Amino acid sequence: MRFKNSTLFVTVSAVMLSAPALALNIFVCEPEWKALLAAHAPKATIYSATTALQDPHYVQARPSLIAKMRQADMAMCSGAELEVGWLPMLQARSSNPAVQNNKQSMLYASEIVSMLDTHHHVDRSMGDIHAYGNPHVQFAANDMIRISRVVSKRLESIDPANAFSYLVNGVKFREHWRQKLVEWEQRAEPLRGIQVVSYHETYRYLFDWLGMEQIADLEPKPGISPTTAHLQSLTRLDPASFDAIIYSSHQNKRAANWLHQQTDKPVIQLPLTVSKGQTLDELYDQILDDLLRVLAQPQPVKG
Amino acid sequence: MKKKLVSLAISSILVSPAFANTLSNPQIGVVLDGYYQNGERNNSERSEGFGLGHTEISMSANIDDKFHGVLTTVLETHGDETELLLEEAFIQTLTMPYGFNIRGGRFLSDFGYMNNQHMHSDSFVERPVAYRTFLGSHYYDDGLRANLVLPTDMYVKLGVEALSGSKMSAVDDATAVGVYTTTLKIGDDFSESSSWQFGLSYLRNENGKVNNFEEHDHSTDGHDEHDHSHASAVTGSNLYGADFVWKWAPNGNYKYSNFTLSAEYMLLDDIVDSKFKGEKNAPDTLAAYYVSGVYRFTPSWSAGLRYSDAESYEGHVHHGSTQPHLTSLNDSEIDAMVAWDSSHFGTVRAQYTRVENQDKATDNVFTLQYVMTFGAHGAHAF
Ligand SMILES: [Zn+2]
Repeated sequence: MRFKNSTLFVTVSAVMLSAPALALNIFVCEPEWKALLAAHAPKATIYSATTALQDPHYVQARPSLIAKMRQADMAMCSGAELEVGWLPMLQARSSNPAVQNNKQSMLYASEIVSMLDTHHHVDRSMGDIHAYGNPHVQFAANDMIRISRVVSKRLESIDPANAFSYLVNGVKFREHWRQKLVEWEQRAEPLRGIQVVSYHETYRYLFDWLGMEQIADLEPKPGISPTTAHLQSLTRLDPASFDAIIYSSHQNKRAANWLHQQTDKPVIQLPLTVSKGQTLDELYDQILDDLLRVLAQPQPVKG
Repeated sequence: MKKKLVSLAISSILVSPAFANTLSNPQIGVVLDGYYQNGERNNSERSEGFGLGHTEISMSANIDDKFHGVLTTVLETHGDETELLLEEAFIQTLTMPYGFNIRGGRFLSDFGYMNNQHMHSDSFVERPVAYRTFLGSHYYDDGLRANLVLPTDMYVKLGVEALSGSKMSAVDDATAVGVYTTTLKIGDDFSESSSWQFGLSYLRNENGKVNNFEEHDHSTDGHDEHDHSHASAVTGSNLYGADFVWKWAPNGNYKYSNFTLSAEYMLLDDIVDSKFKGEKNAPDTLAAYYVSGVYRFTPSWSAGLRYSDAESYEGHVHHGSTQPHLTSLNDSEIDAMVAWDSSHFGTVRAQYTRVENQDKATDNVFTLQYVMTFGAHGAHAF
């Protein structure tokens, strides 16, 4: 039944996609949203403000970004103050009505995701904390289906001429994602209950999804760089209480390596987001590969 | 099934307008700036000893879907006096078509590179002497601005402003709209790691030309009459500016290390009335500039060097005479600073300035400063 449906969709979509289309110009703050949007609007020109090697908290509202923002028909960012240091400046300087808050064409993933770590009380002595919850939502695997639904709807309303292709691509994305979720959850079974020390709660959603637990952070407080005193305190952790040290490709590896030398626990560098040309599910595959390679006993390869 | 229902309910709360409202209404932020200083720089707002610098309370919010509003008040102390200044009180459009953007009220002029940036984002204790001499440290005024950003891959912004010009007026019977500015900004990336911006500015000052010098009695000339007016020290009919900034960070990741090079050049002309043209030392044009480099070598430490130079003049008439007595002046400063950021919101800075004064005397000024913010902290411009 499901098979038939999707064949029908693919056939119809092929017909619809051949119609002349206005190529949408889309601005995204992080590469993961470029990957997601590319799956929904493959003909769109999508520009990402950051790369996989950049910390999205610290970006310059530079002229090239204002120019890109000026030309965007739509924009998508993580939100929840992740980009508070630069996105408002781009919105104001670009003078583009389409990318102002509360517009259909300005989309924040964190407004769709069920946020983790929302705080009723926030004080800067707690570090550079995000009051609206952890904004690193690219690994909120189960919420990606809901995000896809909203993305399809928004694309349809912004570019009605191609509404049907957005609808079809959305359905395809979600169906594929559902299959992958089943596959990932099976593969990730050995990771359940694994305890790690990580850097800046970057992988909060990933750990939550996979049943892993972050028992300590290399940062003393969010946004505050690792200090010697704080790292010293981490060496007093019971070595039996965690299995690995995890940090992200854009973060400084010194603190992770230092703790590795003290505790002999393996260090795993995970990607923060998709690399060039990678799709979102390929990113998830890669992350699982990286984690399983170190944290799971080698499994015999199935037929 | 039940779980799904719950999560759907949560998501609809999160996307409801009520949630969006709490995000933006209104943003209130405070900047605390305190210092200790062992000397003084010319045309400066900071005096010797302990003092408070640019203490700021700012509020901003989207007024509706079409307008954004900002109010910034500044408290400054000078000895026993505390001044309350209204630095910004403007509305700005959000939804004009074709990249247009209108701002009305009181705001920082777009002239030059640094002028429209907030002081607390500066890398040095004070604006360079070029700014202090030609723009009164930072030039804000009442008026209207229109900006246009072109839909091009290279950033191109054109701007015009009409301002009251009262802080830049050299005459008694000033016209109501005294200052007009025109600016052009272009910018782009050289690579993933480096970006640049170049700007040209022109400021027309209808009331900038000096047509009368005040009487001056040398016997009461004292160095303690510091009037810290926020007006520019010298004015003229035309002020031309060129600015360049280049920023570099490995792979464009600004968190761990980055470098900023910025430079501005300003030229003032048509300074005094034609009746003074033949006088000895009557200025024809005056120039000022600075070059500054700041290197952040860890997330919490940065260091910078800056050189700034400004030509100016002083003029007065002696009792019973109509002939002005004019003196050419020149200030130059070398600043070296080291700053420690306790977080993104707190900075402690030590700065040494070698001052080559107007009277050719050399001075060493040492300042220890903190700049800290709490509440909302607006995004910074490039
Ligand atoms: Zn964060």
